[in-house]
Amino acid sequence: MTFETFLFVLAGGLVLGALYALMATGLAVVWTTLGIFNFAHGAFITFGAYLAWQVSQTEAGNAGYFAGAAAAVAGLFITGVIFHLALVRPFERKPNVVLLSVITTLAGATILENAIDLVWGPRSKQLAPMVPGDATFFGVTTSKNQILMIVLVLIILAAVGAFLRYSATGRAMRAVAQNREAAELMGLDVPKLYAGAFGLSAAIAGLAGLFVGSIHFMTPSMGTDPLMKALLVVIFGGVARFTSPIYAAFVVGLVEAFSTYYVGLYWTPAVLFGLMIVVLIVKPEGLFGKYERSV
Amino acid sequence: MRYDPPFRKSTGFIPALVALALLVVFPFVFTDTYSRHLMILVFIYAIVAASWDLSLGFGGLVNFAHVALFAVGMYTYGILAKTLGLDPWLAIPAGGLVAMAFAAAIALPILRLDGIYVILVTIAFSQLIYQIVISQSDVTGGTSGMVLLPPLKLAGHSFVLNHKIGYYYTALGIFVVSTACLYTIIRSRLGRAVIALRDNKYYAMARGVSEARTRLAALAASAFFAGVAGGFYGSYVRVASPDAFGLGFLTLILSILLVGGAGTLWGPIVGAFVITLLSEAIADYGPWRSIAIGAIIILILVFYPGGLWAAVQELREGVDMARTSMLARWRRNRGRAERERRLGTREQVISTPHGLIAYADSGGDKPPVLFIHGNSACKEAFQYQFAALRDDFRLIAFDLPGHGVSGNGEPETDYNVPAYAEVAEKVLETCGVKNPVVFGWSLGGYVALELSARAVVKVRGLAIAGTTPLNLVPDDFGAGYDASSHLILAGKQYFSPTEARAYAGSATAPYSATSAFMHRNLGRTDGRARVYMFSKLGVTDWPRQMRMLRDGTVPFAILNGSDDPFLNHSYIRGLHYGSIWTGAPFDIAGGKHAPFFNKPDEFNAAFRRFMREACGL
Repeated sequence: MTFETFLFVLAGGLVLGALYALMATGLAVVWTTLGIFNFAHGAFITFGAYLAWQVSQTEAGNAGYFAGAAAAVAGLFITGVIFHLALVRPFERKPNVVLLSVITTLAGATILENAIDLVWGPRSKQLAPMVPGDATFFGVTTSKNQILMIVLVLIILAAVGAFLRYSATGRAMRAVAQNREAAELMGLDVPKLYAGAFGLSAAIAGLAGLFVGSIHFMTPSMGTDPLMKALLVVIFGGVARFTSPIYAAFVVGLVEAFSTYYVGLYWTPAVLFGLMIVVLIVKPEGLFGKYERSV
Repeated sequence: MRYDPPFRKSTGFIPALVALALLVVFPFVFTDTYSRHLMILVFIYAIVAASWDLSLGFGGLVNFAHVALFAVGMYTYGILAKTLGLDPWLAIPAGGLVAMAFAAAIALPILRLDGIYVILVTIAFSQLIYQIVISQSDVTGGTSGMVLLPPLKLAGHSFVLNHKIGYYYTALGIFVVSTACLYTIIRSRLGRAVIALRDNKYYAMARGVSEARTRLAALAASAFFAGVAGGFYGSYVRVASPDAFGLGFLTLILSILLVGGAGTLWGPIVGAFVITLLSEAIADYGPWRSIAIGAIIILILVFYPGGLWAAVQELREGVDMARTSMLARWRRNRGRAERERRLGTREQVISTPHGLIAYADSGGDKPPVLFIHGNSACKEAFQYQFAALRDDFRLIAFDLPGHGVSGNGEPETDYNVPAYAEVAEKVLETCGVKNPVVFGWSLGGYVALELSARAVVKVRGLAIAGTTPLNLVPDDFGAGYDASSHLILAGKQYFSPTEARAYAGSATAPYSATSAFMHRNLGRTDGRARVYMFSKLGVTDWPRQMRMLRDGTVPFAILNGSDDPFLNHSYIRGLHYGSIWTGAPFDIAGGKHAPFFNKPDEFNAAFRRFMREACGL
């Protein structure tokens, strides 16, 4: 392997890592706050991509990228809140809420995916890149779109991180995640914060959809793969800290890029899932830090 | 305590037989290929869903790789029967065995995981299998799958011919065998261990249930049936396609399981019929079909978590309630002469807050005695007392709500000991009796104790038979009674003919000309009365009854049969009584659970003596 190839593969891995980080962070926000696993996260990503396409693309709305991103964020926030109220809220106090919400979010994902199919049709679409053209660093050529994407993802993650860390609402969300009863006694509006966390997670998924749609083709069922990847990343890294899934996302992205180069495209998913199973057996709380669960 | 009669003696036997007979004649009525095809799909989906329930519903272990194991069976069939040319009849069970091996591989990492992690690992595993399948296109056909798999043949006859009749009966056969096996497994030691681990993991482990071994066995067993179903499906549609790994198929099977009712054997089977036919009916609507299935799952989970099987149970309860209520109304007029002849007194019906109550009162200005009958009996159980004691005492007996010719009650409010005591108070008030002696038998004994402890009616004397006074409920049940199937039957809602004979035979007397009326009466009893009697144990103030007995302010007698098969006599003797007639519980020699019925002369003599002392005659 030449140094150029190495850099090329590395760049590919970083792009994947950035995408996975965005997907997994959304999933982790719901997991840490509500203690459930949202299987509609992939469908959220799809929906975000289609909303952005509807608003921003020439043949549809042509209102520009910013408007597309805004539509994806706003639309997905509302969708997330609705999903929370309809699919998770009714089971909140049941002992088997984890299983029930897996099933209902899975059903919700089916509904959303097929609704997208009904509205936009099964034909694949694509978002135009945010910026056209390529750039070359150290002899490696990559599209400016991907570089911009990595930068934007890091900015978004930093913003979400800052929101959770410093803003009153973000701190309240983390408080609810740590101890629901205590937070309730402190006068925090837990139902609203839960719905907010779900909405925030969905909004991040919408942004992820925007980026996915600009580098891959969009189909109504495009969410399955990002969902599996996000799941993988979250398990891989654990959710001890806000940053745990982000590190893990880059690890997974790099592993995927190098494994595709060395082992081949077909075996890469097997390698990733095999690794995940090993991590789950050896360190179920994830590679990065410890997260106390109440089962 | 363990009570499991063989299937042919249980209440489900006749309905299951009828359903099976209908399925056997089905292809003769519907001779077209399409309706048989639908039924074959129903059988296959039912096997997959019901076997999944073994781990998901009964075990609470969410194995999301179950559907992938179905696909494993399908691909095994494809590879063995097509690529390697093995006999298709051997390739189908081989699919089951390979699926079992995969299940064991899945089981190893999740043996000690819990909750969401089991879901995640099993999803990852099914994705792993899926990725391997589509990456090995030279073996599995990759994303396009394997086509033109060999069909099933028997003696040169291809099962595809004659509108798939061969496939229909093969599918039915596999379905029946797998259901029978699952039924056996659920009731076996393994099934009990699986349920115990779900309900109280640490208690089960403390009792020696190995979590890892049980999980492994349950997963392997459920995988076998999924694999066989997959193998058969491969032989039937003659395609092994990776679609079977998809979320769509998973959602379909999951909806069958949930709509039918998780944690039951029959629920997923009912669900398979409904969902398969429904999803085929709306198959032409494309995405709307998936949306409908998703919406059904959510609506069922939010509004009716028990699923269709719970609906079937409610329907059955409604039918049974209507039956017993009509029977009571009909008998109120129909057998009245015979009942009045037995008690030698007129039967009257009054309206109480707990429904219509039939009672008999021999009248006269003599010391009054109130008789309270036991579970699933009636006031005529005291016919020998009415015959022998009527000259000296005023005898009153009534049918409890839901029993005899009294009306059915509202289960939440009317089928518990305090409610029965209120009914007794109302009957006494109607008769104008102020301070009676009360005799209670079995369940009636608790009513008598409660009636006396409530002190709304001043009880002059209290006698019980076949009743164990209880301090701590339900803990003392185990101490006070000999744990036998009788205790289970006492709280069982529906009786099969065998169970009815066994229960009435041991509670009163084996079937004979003289006891036939008691056996007949059992069928009239509202089954909910038995269930609620146990589920509402908590509304009774048991310590108050014991305090009353310890204080000994009321003359008290225990007149048990010496051969009562249910009582723990030494527990009863060991209790502390403030005052008890003859100083200790008095045993009627040779008496059974209903000594006043089995040994009326001995009982009447003893009772007369107690009466004399209690009333100071």
